[in-house]
Amino acid sequence: MTVKKLTLTAILTALALALGLLERFLPISLLIPLPGVKLGLSNIVTLSALCVLGTPYAAAILLLRAVLGSVFSGSVTSLLYSLAGGALALTAMAIASRSKRLSVYGVSMIGAAMHSIGQILAAMAVIGSVSIVSYLPLLLVISAVTGALTGAATGGVLVGWDAYRKRMPSGGSL
Amino acid sequence: MRTLATKPRGWDAAVAAAILLLAGALALLLFLPRASAPVSVQIYQNGALLYELPLNVDTELVIGGDYENTVTIHDGTVAVTHATCPGEDCVHTGPQSRAGRSIVCLPNRIEIRLVGEADVDIVVH
Repeated sequence: MTVKKLTLTAILTALALALGLLERFLPISLLIPLPGVKLGLSNIVTLSALCVLGTPYAAAILLLRAVLGSVFSGSVTSLLYSLAGGALALTAMAIASRSKRLSVYGVSMIGAAMHSIGQILAAMAVIGSVSIVSYLPLLLVISAVTGALTGAATGGVLVGWDAYRKRMPSGGSL
Repeated sequence: MRTLATKPRGWDAAVAAAILLLAGALALLLFLPRASAPVSVQIYQNGALLYELPLNVDTELVIGGDYENTVTIHDGTVAVTHATCPGEDCVHTGPQSRAGRSIVCLPNRIEIRLVGEADVDIVVH
């Protein structure tokens, strides 16, 4: 672990938290009244970290974001949902990003869909019932859309990061 | 640094199609066999059955817990008409009338299930 990587991890964690906070001001759940519906802006950070820093760093950012996020929001159950969804999404994206046939769009959509599935699984465990799975079809459709949107944003981040690295005298090594 | 294409590729469309297909298949499996008229409304909290009420008798009750949810049964539909929980997703879910549907309040761990005459989970033809 280099100081550069550690610093970037901290910055990305702060960014993920800020995006999570920003998301609460976007009333997407008013348009689509389902529990757990959100844009998933933090996924931009997770996927960017996965590509730039690697899976262990992305996992660290995810864990820090989930814990600190629930400290700020004061909700313990939301920690469970974001951890279950996030861990499943990260695992799936780490595997999917090894594919040469997928772009950020496909990987991001897989992550968003797995996040929905993880959240529903956590909710099933919390409520102790399977019938909440009836929310999953619509959540999956929404996650295909939000996954493509956050994928586009992540693409922009990666292009920008690449341009930044090329400008650096050190070659942008971390 | 892991290199990942930033422009969409053909296989991305396949991923989108797979997700939509999964959603469609799941929706068919969940909602089709339960099109018959529901008989009762089951209200669960923390996974335990609190009330079982007929859907054709108008009533209103308040469920306590960490927050308060007002459940209203009216004209063969059930809805959470008022809630003190943050977000109020349960209220925004609106009135439900078909068997197999449910209204959920995650903050108060309440689940309202519409149960049909034959209490089966899935029927495969």
